[in-house]
Amino acid sequence: MNRNCGCDDWRVSRRALLGAAADNLVGIPEALLADGPAAALTGSRGITRKRMLVGAGGLAFAVAAMPRFGAKGLFEAAAAQAAEDPNGRILVSIYLDGGNDGLNTLVPIGDPRYRQLRTRIGIDPATTLAVAGHPEFGWHPSLTGLKTLFDAGKVAVMPAVDYANPDQSHFNSQIFWRTGVVGQTFDRSGWLGRTIDLLGGTDNPLQAISMGWNLDPILQSRQAPVATVFDPGGFGFSIPDVWSDEAALGPYRGATSGARSKARKAAQQAFRGAIGVFDQLAPLRAQGDKVPPTPIAYPDEHLGNGLRNLARMLGAGFGTRLATISHGGFDTHDQQPVEHAQLLKTLGDSLVAWQADLDARNLSDRVMTLVWSEFGRRAEDNDSNGTDHGAGGCVLLVGNHANGGIQSEFPGLTNLDPDGNLLVTTEFRNLYATLLESWMGVEAGRVLPGVDARRLALIK
Amino acid sequence: MSTTIARPPTRIARARVERLMWRAGFGAVPGDVDRLARAGMDVAVHELLFPRGPQLRKAPEPTVDGQPIDPVNVYGHDVLWWLDRMVRGRHQLVERMTLNWHDHFATSNEKVSDARLMQQQYFTIRSRSVGSFRKLAQAILRDHAMQRFLDLDNSDKDDPNENFAREFLELFTLGVNNGYTEQDIREAARALTGFTFNYDAKAFGYDSERHDDGVKKILGKTGRFTPNDVVNLAINHPKHAPYLCKKLWGYFTPRPCPPGTLKKMVAAYKTSGTQIRPVLQIILTHPALLADLGEPDQVKPPVVYVAGMLRKTNQVVTTDSWTWMLDNMGQRPFYPPNVSGWEQDEAWLTTASVRARYEAASQAVRAMEIKDGTIAKKQTPAQALSAALRMTGKPWTSAQSRAALSRYARTSVADKTADWQEEHYWPERLRVLCHMLLAGPDAQVS
Repeated sequence: MNRNCGCDDWRVSRRALLGAAADNLVGIPEALLADGPAAALTGSRGITRKRMLVGAGGLAFAVAAMPRFGAKGLFEAAAAQAAEDPNGRILVSIYLDGGNDGLNTLVPIGDPRYRQLRTRIGIDPATTLAVAGHPEFGWHPSLTGLKTLFDAGKVAVMPAVDYANPDQSHFNSQIFWRTGVVGQTFDRSGWLGRTIDLLGGTDNPLQAISMGWNLDPILQSRQAPVATVFDPGGFGFSIPDVWSDEAALGPYRGATSGARSKARKAAQQAFRGAIGVFDQLAPLRAQGDKVPPTPIAYPDEHLGNGLRNLARMLGAGFGTRLATISHGGFDTHDQQPVEHAQLLKTLGDSLVAWQADLDARNLSDRVMTLVWSEFGRRAEDNDSNGTDHGAGGCVLLVGNHANGGIQSEFPGLTNLDPDGNLLVTTEFRNLYATLLESWMGVEAGRVLPGVDARRLALIK
Repeated sequence: MSTTIARPPTRIARARVERLMWRAGFGAVPGDVDRLARAGMDVAVHELLFPRGPQLRKAPEPTVDGQPIDPVNVYGHDVLWWLDRMVRGRHQLVERMTLNWHDHFATSNEKVSDARLMQQQYFTIRSRSVGSFRKLAQAILRDHAMQRFLDLDNSDKDDPNENFAREFLELFTLGVNNGYTEQDIREAARALTGFTFNYDAKAFGYDSERHDDGVKKILGKTGRFTPNDVVNLAINHPKHAPYLCKKLWGYFTPRPCPPGTLKKMVAAYKTSGTQIRPVLQIILTHPALLADLGEPDQVKPPVVYVAGMLRKTNQVVTTDSWTWMLDNMGQRPFYPPNVSGWEQDEAWLTTASVRARYEAASQAVRAMEIKDGTIAKKQTPAQALSAALRMTGKPWTSAQSRAALSRYARTSVADKTADWQEEHYWPERLRVLCHMLLAGPDAQVS
């Protein structure tokens, strides 16, 4: 987490739950999500919808036989099938924590204003790396790894993504990007949490993995279980002087059902989930330190290690559909050049190792990686060799099926918004909607209430 | 007065005391359960509301690696210092309310970056935690950690910072969008200008030159309002008392507050001149608090869980591991996630946090020092379970957990017949039994 930033606006939020309801609070209608596949799996009518889909051999029958699902059910029916599909598509989110400076990532070297605005920490155009087909841009010099992926056509770049009237507080922007709702909302669920509610089942936490020690709020679901794991080999249960994990779990296994109160049910469910994950990870745990090498070594840092661990879990086939990881330290209010260069190097090198690892595991056609941040930074640099909070972040989409190239409009630096920030040309919710529909097969409106019909050409 | 020997208290009387002490404190220390169960709930509630004697149980004092803890200079010891006060605190409701107010007036050292200021805030809150809310709010207004946290320091008439004004109305006194407008926030921010902070000298002050002494209109009233006036205007607002009483209720029970009870609380709060104690009295004696004793319905917040575990096993803080463990459980005192405090109830429990809670019990069991070779082989499964129950303060267990524990007690040592096995596996059985009594699903709720 990156709260020690000298800026004072990350705080806020259970506030939405505390006061009286009000008109400007956006609610996500319960009904929108109530009959997703997760619910259908345990539905009534004797035969579950899931079994029906499987038994009848397909979607067409389900829709024809049960018109009450209607066209709206199409996406979810497809999704329910995908959930059982070992070849289901996977979306991985990499969050650049703190607000990545997009202008020093994909550097607009062809824009004369860049040098005027970035007198202190501007990147010398001569040192940037060529962006194939776009002489007006150059990659930050430490993005050699990312450049190779881009040159191979595996990176879609969107240079000015945000939302209208962007809020420059970490906290607010994080909440908006995480929930997929712009404005205050009572709902704590994240957009990927709601996605797994629709796509996932009721008993496999590893269907969505938060790579860390605390649950990523993006993956906060309403009912579908999700897992928080950083190191699959280290996910265990131990008691001092108890000689095996199995013994240490001894009586726990027999005490995870039968509760009546919400609180006890939650406690039992949490244990059931944790023990279930432990059981599933057994084959990886058994490898101990003998983890097979990867084609390209990952940087030995949080992001590199996390992606390496994630690739192992994806390779083991736990039915994972979503995963999230953070890469922290982007709140570069001062001394940006050295720090930012290191952060970008780690990012680019990790992505290269990640793609090669996925290739070797035969997974790269199934995985799409989204790289995003809560905002970009102020167009003009500050007196401390850094940059302050801005707008219009640079989003990357990486994968074999990413539509390589620059895929959204760069607004230029001549016209900035009233706060001196990059103008926003692309709404992040349209980006999300595109990923939901074109990649994950989920109707976007059921995850992102009120999202409009605009979609982007991001998937090939 | 009769002089008969005290009979053992009934199970239901014990269960009531247990419930009360988990909700109003950090769990009863083992001896207190029987004592209070005999004395009755009126006595128990009275002791909570009107505590007497020293604040802390004396010995033993908390240590890390045998050394005293150093909350100001050593990273992470601030958390241990507070945890210790919960563990050894004799004024349990006061300690619990201090935690509740920390959640309410959430201030994080992540921004304040000064453990001393945070400690001062702890005492600022503690000494007013069951007294007048008006006085508490006035003290919070002047609290230096809070002033740093919400940018009240150096908020100047030329550039009033709205942070404190906004949270004060929105979270501290009225509730989101509950009876105030954006204009009220702006005007209140003007009235709150004038506080100063010199970073180098670490000096806080008030400079009337920097205070906006013009006329403001706040919550429908007009005048040359000062910082104190903002506190009073908000507290006198008709929406304040119901908001605060309802929030207090929520700390003690997840059950909805009956409208009649809310009315009673509001009346008690108002007629007493914003006293917190009478409101707490209504909550602590309400049947909802003791409802369904056989099916606990509130998730223990992480610090309550940990402090209670130490209290039930007669331990004090002896390791700095608690700091990161609490962080992994999602609640590190002095570091709330944001100004609206921690998400409560079921939100505490995830596959990740429950593993951290499991780990915490491993630490507690380690400190219980159940050594190999100390348990005789003749110990029966039933004896093993009773020993474990005794060692963990006889916690509430569901029928299902009892069955799982009994089964484990029977089967875990059944095939361990060699001498070396007896040396190890008998104590191992006890360790595991104690562990589940401390950390199993039943132990996560009260």
